[in-house]
Amino acid sequence: MPVAPSAAPSERPALRVAAIAAGGALGTLARYGVSRALITPTLGFPWSTLVVNVAGSLLLGLIVTLVVERWSPTRFVRPFAAIGFCGGFTTFSTLMVELSQRGQHGRIAVAGLYLVVSLVAGLLAAFAGMALARVGGVAAGPPGAIPDPDDLGGIAPDRDGS
Amino acid sequence: MIILGLAVAGAIGAVLRYGVDHRVQRRSGSSFPFGILVVNVSGSLVLGVLVGSAAHHGVSGDWLTVAGTGLIGAYTTFSTFSFDTVALLERRQWAPAVANLTLSVVAGLAAAACGLALGALT
Repeated sequence: MPVAPSAAPSERPALRVAAIAAGGALGTLARYGVSRALITPTLGFPWSTLVVNVAGSLLLGLIVTLVVERWSPTRFVRPFAAIGFCGGFTTFSTLMVELSQRGQHGRIAVAGLYLVVSLVAGLLAAFAGMALARVGGVAAGPPGAIPDPDDLGGIAPDRDGS
Repeated sequence: MIILGLAVAGAIGAVLRYGVDHRVQRRSGSSFPFGILVVNVSGSLVLGVLVGSAAHHGVSGDWLTVAGTGLIGAYTTFSTFSFDTVALLERRQWAPAVANLTLSVVAGLAAAACGLALGALT
Protein backbone atom coordinates (compact mmCIF):
# COMPACT_ATOMS: atom_id res chain seq x y z
CA MET A 1 0.00 0.00 0.00
CA PRO A 2 1.55 3.34 -1.00
CA VAL A 3 2.35 5.66 1.83
CA ALA A 4 0.16 8.75 1.88
CA PRO A 5 1.99 11.75 0.45
CA SER A 6 1.40 13.70 3.67
CA ALA A 7 4.65 15.00 5.10
CA ALA A 8 3.47 14.92 8.71
CA PRO A 9 3.98 11.22 9.57
CA SER A 10 7.62 11.10 8.58
CA GLU A 11 8.44 14.52 9.99
CA ARG A 12 11.26 14.38 12.54
CA PRO A 13 11.34 10.60 12.84
CA ALA A 14 14.20 10.68 15.35
CA LEU A 15 12.14 12.78 17.76
CA ARG A 16 9.21 10.42 17.42
CA VAL A 17 11.42 7.42 18.14
CA ALA A 18 12.75 9.29 21.19
CA ALA A 19 9.15 9.87 22.30
CA ILE A 20 8.41 6.14 21.94
CA ALA A 21 11.54 5.28 23.95
CA ALA A 22 10.69 7.77 26.73
CA GLY A 23 7.10 6.52 26.94
CA GLY A 24 8.28 2.90 26.89
CA ALA A 25 10.72 3.54 29.75
CA LEU A 26 8.05 5.24 31.88
CA GLY A 27 5.44 2.59 31.10
CA THR A 28 7.88 -0.19 32.03
CA LEU A 29 8.79 1.51 35.33
CA ALA A 30 5.09 2.00 36.11
CA ARG A 31 4.41 -1.70 35.41
CA TYR A 32 7.33 -2.70 37.62
CA GLY A 33 5.96 -0.43 40.37
CA VAL A 34 2.56 -2.14 40.21
CA SER A 35 4.25 -5.58 40.30
CA ARG A 36 6.13 -4.57 43.48
CA ALA A 37 2.94 -3.26 45.09
CA LEU A 38 0.85 -6.32 44.19
CA ILE A 39 3.18 -9.28 44.67
CA THR A 40 1.82 -12.43 42.99
CA PRO A 41 2.18 -15.54 45.18
CA THR A 42 3.90 -18.45 43.38
CA LEU A 43 1.37 -19.86 40.90
CA GLY A 44 -1.33 -17.65 42.47
CA PHE A 45 -3.63 -15.26 40.65
CA PRO A 46 -1.50 -12.61 38.87
CA TRP A 47 -3.39 -9.49 39.94
CA SER A 48 -0.61 -7.11 38.99
CA THR A 49 -0.51 -8.18 35.32
CA LEU A 50 -4.30 -8.07 35.17
CA VAL A 51 -4.38 -4.56 36.65
CA VAL A 52 -1.78 -3.11 34.24
CA ASN A 53 -3.35 -4.79 31.21
CA VAL A 54 -6.89 -3.63 31.98
CA ALA A 55 -5.84 -0.10 33.02
CA GLY A 56 -3.56 0.21 29.99
CA SER A 57 -6.32 -0.93 27.63
CA LEU A 58 -8.65 1.74 29.02
CA LEU A 59 -5.98 4.41 28.67
CA LEU A 60 -5.05 3.38 25.13
CA GLY A 61 -8.70 3.35 23.98
CA LEU A 62 -9.11 6.82 25.45
CA ILE A 63 -5.91 8.30 24.02
CA VAL A 64 -6.10 6.88 20.49
CA THR A 65 -9.77 7.84 20.13
CA LEU A 66 -9.09 11.36 21.40
CA VAL A 67 -6.14 11.76 19.04
CA VAL A 68 -7.92 10.36 16.00
CA GLU A 69 -11.45 11.70 16.49
CA ARG A 70 -11.42 14.67 18.86
CA TRP A 71 -8.14 16.51 18.92
CA SER A 72 -6.50 18.56 16.25
CA PRO A 73 -3.48 16.75 14.80
CA THR A 74 -0.73 16.16 17.33
CA ARG A 75 2.77 14.93 16.65
CA PHE A 76 4.00 13.40 19.87
CA VAL A 77 0.96 12.27 21.88
CA ARG A 78 0.58 9.02 19.99
CA PRO A 79 4.23 7.95 19.95
CA PHE A 80 4.79 8.94 23.59
CA ALA A 81 1.51 8.06 25.31
CA ALA A 82 0.03 5.33 23.08
CA ILE A 83 2.94 3.42 21.54
CA GLY A 84 5.43 4.20 24.27
CA PHE A 85 3.63 4.40 27.60
CA CYS A 86 0.56 2.17 27.09
CA GLY A 87 2.57 -0.33 25.03
CA GLY A 88 5.33 -0.48 27.64
CA PHE A 89 2.92 -0.50 30.58
CA THR A 90 0.88 -3.47 29.34
CA THR A 91 2.36 -6.84 28.48
CA PHE A 92 1.15 -9.82 26.52
CA SER A 93 4.16 -12.10 27.01
CA THR A 94 3.89 -12.07 30.82
CA LEU A 95 0.22 -13.04 30.57
CA MET A 96 1.08 -15.96 28.26
CA VAL A 97 3.99 -17.23 30.39
CA GLU A 98 1.96 -16.93 33.61
CA LEU A 99 -0.90 -18.88 32.00
CA SER A 100 1.50 -21.51 30.68
CA GLN A 101 3.19 -21.99 34.07
CA ARG A 102 -0.13 -22.38 35.86
CA GLY A 103 -1.35 -24.83 33.24
CA GLN A 104 1.82 -26.93 33.54
CA HIS A 105 1.48 -27.11 37.31
CA GLY A 106 -2.14 -28.21 37.19
CA ARG A 107 -3.57 -24.86 38.31
CA ILE A 108 -6.18 -25.11 35.55
CA ALA A 109 -8.91 -23.20 37.38
CA VAL A 110 -6.60 -20.26 38.16
CA ALA A 111 -5.32 -20.23 34.56
CA GLY A 112 -8.81 -20.42 33.05
CA LEU A 113 -10.14 -17.66 35.28
CA TYR A 114 -7.08 -15.49 34.63
CA LEU A 115 -7.40 -15.88 30.85
CA VAL A 116 -11.14 -15.20 30.70
CA VAL A 117 -11.02 -12.23 33.09
CA SER A 118 -8.02 -10.73 31.23
CA LEU A 119 -9.74 -10.96 27.84
CA VAL A 120 -13.21 -9.84 28.94
CA ALA A 121 -12.01 -7.02 31.20
CA GLY A 122 -9.34 -5.95 28.67
CA LEU A 123 -11.78 -5.67 25.78
CA LEU A 124 -14.41 -3.94 27.94
CA ALA A 125 -11.79 -1.49 29.21
CA ALA A 126 -10.62 -0.63 25.66
CA PHE A 127 -14.27 -0.14 24.67
CA ALA A 128 -14.92 2.02 27.75
CA GLY A 129 -11.89 4.18 26.98
CA MET A 130 -13.09 4.72 23.42
CA ALA A 131 -16.62 5.56 24.64
CA LEU A 132 -15.25 7.96 27.25
CA ALA A 133 -13.30 9.83 24.56
CA ARG A 134 -16.49 10.29 22.56
CA VAL A 135 -18.59 11.64 25.46
CA GLY A 136 -20.00 15.02 24.51
CA GLY A 137 -18.83 14.70 20.94
CA VAL A 138 -20.94 15.02 17.81
CA ALA A 139 -22.60 11.79 16.73
CA ALA A 140 -19.96 9.81 14.92
CA GLY A 141 -20.54 8.65 11.38
CA PRO A 142 -19.68 5.13 10.33
CA PRO A 143 -16.24 4.27 11.68
CA GLY A 144 -13.44 4.76 9.21
CA ALA A 145 -10.32 2.68 8.78
CA ILE A 146 -9.05 1.12 11.97
CA PRO A 147 -6.52 3.45 13.58
CA ASP A 148 -3.48 1.35 14.38
CA PRO A 149 -2.39 2.49 17.85
CA ASP A 150 1.16 1.45 17.02
CA ASP A 151 1.20 3.36 13.78
CA LEU A 152 2.62 6.81 13.41
CA GLY A 153 0.55 7.34 10.29
CA GLY A 154 1.12 6.40 6.71
CA ILE A 155 0.48 2.64 6.87
CA ALA A 156 -3.27 2.48 7.11
CA PRO A 157 -5.22 5.19 5.28
CA ASP A 158 -6.46 6.70 8.53
CA ARG A 159 -7.35 10.30 9.18
CA ASP A 160 -3.77 11.30 9.81
CA GLY A 161 -3.05 10.85 6.14
CA SER A 162 -6.06 12.70 4.78
CA MET B 1 20.59 0.25 39.26
CA ILE B 2 17.65 -2.03 38.55
CA ILE B 3 15.51 1.04 37.84
CA LEU B 4 17.99 2.34 35.28
CA GLY B 5 18.25 -1.10 33.66
CA LEU B 6 14.47 -1.41 33.49
CA ALA B 7 14.08 2.06 31.98
CA VAL B 8 16.67 1.42 29.26
CA ALA B 9 15.29 -2.06 28.52
CA GLY B 10 11.73 -0.70 28.41
CA ALA B 11 12.76 2.04 25.98
CA ILE B 12 14.48 -0.47 23.69
CA GLY B 13 11.55 -2.90 23.89
CA ALA B 14 9.03 -0.21 22.89
CA VAL B 15 11.14 0.98 19.94
CA LEU B 16 11.73 -2.63 18.86
CA ARG B 17 7.97 -3.25 18.94
CA TYR B 18 7.35 -0.21 16.77
CA GLY B 19 10.00 -1.33 14.28
CA VAL B 20 8.75 -4.93 13.98
CA ASP B 21 5.07 -3.92 13.89
CA HIS B 22 5.72 -1.28 11.26
CA ARG B 23 7.64 -3.65 8.97
CA VAL B 24 5.30 -6.63 9.30
CA GLN B 25 2.19 -4.48 8.90
CA ARG B 26 3.56 -2.76 5.82
CA ARG B 27 4.56 -6.06 4.27
CA SER B 28 1.17 -7.66 4.97
CA GLY B 29 -0.67 -4.85 3.17
CA SER B 30 -3.70 -5.75 5.29
CA SER B 31 -5.80 -4.04 7.95
CA PHE B 32 -5.58 -7.20 10.08
CA PRO B 33 -3.14 -6.49 12.95
CA PHE B 34 -0.46 -8.98 11.85
CA GLY B 35 2.32 -6.76 13.19
CA ILE B 36 1.23 -6.93 16.84
CA LEU B 37 0.40 -10.62 16.46
CA VAL B 38 3.99 -11.32 15.38
CA VAL B 39 5.35 -9.11 18.19
CA ASN B 40 3.23 -10.78 20.88
CA VAL B 41 3.86 -14.36 19.78
CA SER B 42 7.62 -13.88 19.31
CA GLY B 43 7.86 -12.08 22.66
CA SER B 44 5.96 -14.88 24.42
CA LEU B 45 8.46 -17.41 23.04
CA VAL B 46 11.48 -15.39 24.17
CA LEU B 47 10.04 -14.68 27.63
CA GLY B 48 9.28 -18.41 27.99
CA VAL B 49 12.91 -19.25 27.18
CA LEU B 50 14.19 -16.64 29.67
CA VAL B 51 11.89 -17.75 32.49
CA GLY B 52 12.41 -21.47 31.81
CA SER B 53 16.15 -21.06 31.65
CA ALA B 54 16.29 -18.91 34.80
CA ALA B 55 14.21 -21.46 36.73
CA HIS B 56 16.58 -24.28 35.85
CA HIS B 57 19.89 -22.51 36.12
CA GLY B 58 19.29 -20.09 38.97
CA VAL B 59 19.97 -17.01 36.86
CA SER B 60 20.15 -13.81 38.91
CA GLY B 61 16.76 -12.25 39.56
CA ASP B 62 17.95 -8.81 38.50
CA TRP B 63 19.04 -10.02 35.10
CA LEU B 64 15.68 -11.72 34.55
CA THR B 65 13.85 -8.57 35.68
CA VAL B 66 15.70 -6.36 33.19
CA ALA B 67 15.51 -8.77 30.22
CA GLY B 68 12.09 -10.28 30.94
CA THR B 69 10.08 -7.58 32.70
CA GLY B 70 11.91 -4.72 31.03
CA LEU B 71 12.78 -5.65 27.47
CA ILE B 72 10.23 -8.35 26.58
CA GLY B 73 7.50 -6.92 28.82
CA ALA B 74 7.71 -3.63 26.94
CA TYR B 75 8.20 -5.28 23.54
CA THR B 76 4.88 -7.13 23.79
CA THR B 77 1.66 -5.28 24.43
CA PHE B 78 -1.79 -6.16 25.65
CA SER B 79 -3.42 -2.77 25.18
CA THR B 80 -2.95 -2.65 21.41
CA PHE B 81 -4.23 -6.22 21.15
CA SER B 82 -7.44 -5.34 23.03
CA PHE B 83 -7.82 -2.02 21.20
CA ASP B 84 -7.45 -3.67 17.77
CA THR B 85 -9.94 -6.39 18.66
CA VAL B 86 -12.55 -3.86 19.84
CA ALA B 87 -11.92 -1.68 16.76
CA LEU B 88 -12.59 -4.71 14.52
CA LEU B 89 -15.77 -5.56 16.50
CA GLU B 90 -16.93 -1.93 16.21
CA ARG B 91 -16.67 -2.21 12.44
CA ARG B 92 -18.63 -5.48 12.49
CA GLN B 93 -15.60 -7.36 11.20
CA TRP B 94 -16.55 -10.33 13.34
CA ALA B 95 -14.33 -12.95 11.73
CA PRO B 96 -11.11 -10.88 11.86
CA ALA B 97 -11.91 -9.90 15.49
CA VAL B 98 -12.40 -13.51 16.56
CA ALA B 99 -9.36 -14.56 14.52
CA ASN B 100 -7.17 -11.92 16.20
CA LEU B 101 -8.34 -12.98 19.66
CA THR B 102 -8.00 -16.72 19.00
CA LEU B 103 -4.70 -16.58 17.09
CA SER B 104 -3.08 -14.30 19.66
CA VAL B 105 -4.06 -16.51 22.59
CA VAL B 106 -3.48 -19.93 20.99
CA ALA B 107 -0.20 -19.03 19.29
CA GLY B 108 0.93 -16.98 22.31
CA LEU B 109 0.29 -19.88 24.70
CA ALA B 110 1.97 -22.39 22.38
CA ALA B 111 4.98 -20.07 22.03
CA ALA B 112 5.24 -19.51 25.80
CA ALA B 113 4.99 -23.28 26.50
CA CYS B 114 7.64 -24.06 23.84
CA GLY B 115 9.84 -21.32 25.27
CA LEU B 116 9.56 -22.65 28.83
CA ALA B 117 10.43 -26.17 27.63
CA LEU B 118 13.34 -24.90 25.50
CA GLY B 119 14.65 -22.79 28.35
CA ALA B 120 14.62 -25.79 30.69
CA LEU B 121 16.60 -27.83 28.13
CA THR B 122 19.39 -25.36 27.49
